[in-house]
Amino acid sequence: MEYRPPVEAYSGTVREETIGKGGMALKIGGENILPFHFFDEGSNPNPPKFALEILDVEPAGWPEHLTEPFGDSLSDTVNWARKCEALGADAVFLRLVSTDPAVADSSSDDAAALTRKVAESIGIPLIVYGSGDDKKDAELLPKVAEICDGMSLLIGPVVKENYQVVGKTILDHGHKISAQTPLDINLLKELNVKLSHFCPAESIVIDPQSAALGYGMEYTFSLMERVKQLGVIVKDSMTQMPMIADFGTECWKTKQAMESKEQGLLWEGITALSLLLAGANILVLRHPETLRLVKEMMEVT
Amino acid sequence: MIIIGENIHVIARAVSTAIAERDAKVIQDLARAQAEAGADYIDLNVGPLRKDPEDIMRWLVNTVQEATNLPLSLDTMNPVAMEAGLEVCKTKPLLNSASGKTDSKEQMLPLAKKHNCDVIISVINDRGMPPDVELKVDSIMDTVAYANELGIPNEDIWVDPIVLPVSTAGEGQGFAKSSLEFIGILADLLPGVKSTVGLSNVSNGVPAELRPILNRTYLVMLQRNGLYSAIADPSDKELIGLVRGKLPGIVELIHKTMDGEEVDFSSLSSREADYVKTARVFLGDTLYSDAWLES
Repeated sequence: MEYRPPVEAYSGTVREETIGKGGMALKIGGENILPFHFFDEGSNPNPPKFALEILDVEPAGWPEHLTEPFGDSLSDTVNWARKCEALGADAVFLRLVSTDPAVADSSSDDAAALTRKVAESIGIPLIVYGSGDDKKDAELLPKVAEICDGMSLLIGPVVKENYQVVGKTILDHGHKISAQTPLDINLLKELNVKLSHFCPAESIVIDPQSAALGYGMEYTFSLMERVKQLGVIVKDSMTQMPMIADFGTECWKTKQAMESKEQGLLWEGITALSLLLAGANILVLRHPETLRLVKEMMEVT
Repeated sequence: MIIIGENIHVIARAVSTAIAERDAKVIQDLARAQAEAGADYIDLNVGPLRKDPEDIMRWLVNTVQEATNLPLSLDTMNPVAMEAGLEVCKTKPLLNSASGKTDSKEQMLPLAKKHNCDVIISVINDRGMPPDVELKVDSIMDTVAYANELGIPNEDIWVDPIVLPVSTAGEGQGFAKSSLEFIGILADLLPGVKSTVGLSNVSNGVPAELRPILNRTYLVMLQRNGLYSAIADPSDKELIGLVRGKLPGIVELIHKTMDGEEVDFSSLSSREADYVKTARVFLGDTLYSDAWLES
């Protein structure tokens, strides 16, 4: 008897969303297959994208094998962003770490102004995150949204504690919302439901929180896998948003990555590859060589 | 549907204080209120009872029996307290509960035989709580066979599939669904056995105002699959109305949802729509979140 490979066809489609505008617009999502299931019926019109992460201050405590590829640009956030563009990133991810009251508590106005300068200096889309302090972010993120009016950034992390304050402003100024929940699928859906009462679902990106290899990555993997299955197979409209995997910070915190360049690249690369397989649509990396490595691997598919 | 009133529960501050102070009135008021609300049994949940287990259990059973003639469900993990309580029950009581765990088989099941009472046997065993239908079946077949060998007939056994919070990330819904399926096949597996669930646990961890609709919907679904009884709150009038034929429209709607029939939401009241959405959560058709009624 002739062997016929089983081919699945699913009826759910992940929402296609755009970050950035005009010629630099970046599309993510839009797939109606599970990650890399090219043997099934359907397609992924927008292969996963990669952002390089920068900070609003010169990084402290980074090992030389991580700072070296960026050279002098690290002392100036705008130059650093330009360097990422030159190194082939699809987007720049700016983390406003210094605004954290536990770090430098720098002013929200300054951070917002810097964000605009960075966005104007690069020809690729900008993703901008506050420090993750939900109270400070509630003040900071609306300022960022306002000053960057119409620039179509992806802004986060929008969380349960501040979505009511920041969600609407982000939307009103033409940006996208990165909705973050702490590694829990029920909470993830709840935040999406609450946000979609006043924001179209097309303006939301899911940040399920990403852990590094060896430090809980399997939780992120299962969660992303489940979100994608619910969106594509079960057609749950509140899990059909594209997902961002923000794990560069976590990877480069590990002892293994700090110790040597080879270990660091592998740590970040294997985490990236795993979360790609789980269904991440946009990944945030720190090291440009990881970026090259993962892009090379993607070309094989 | 037999309702075992759950409101005399040691976790409630008023109950634990009343027991400590031997305040009969508080306990008797709770027992009477549940009897009037339509309970068929009164559950006495006293926890592990580390201090004075025999005195307390005897006092509690006698106190409740002065207030009502309803049979009692004695709910303690302490076999000494259990036996003291069983000895003073006037009507055939329900031993709540035994399981397939070794110490329960050795201590609780012989008590059930000795006192010829009804006994709840859960699917729990030494390996834990079986999550899927097959493992639940394996576990209960073993434990019931063991009970039969002791001389306990199927007719005295009330099987408990174990209900866990539906809101538990990832696993809660699967567990709710497997318990539902398990109840559906139980009559074929073990002819003559009865069944029960600790209903309110299904909504544990959910905001208080949202708990009743979860309890009510799940009980209607379990009843359709043949559930005999539930440990539940008889003061929830809508819950009792649903399982005793007072709200046939809602029940029919939940049944239709279970059958996978298309439901036209525009023709439903918001209360009806809420029942359909909740049934879909238990069927696993939609992912649970605390905002499940909002979308």
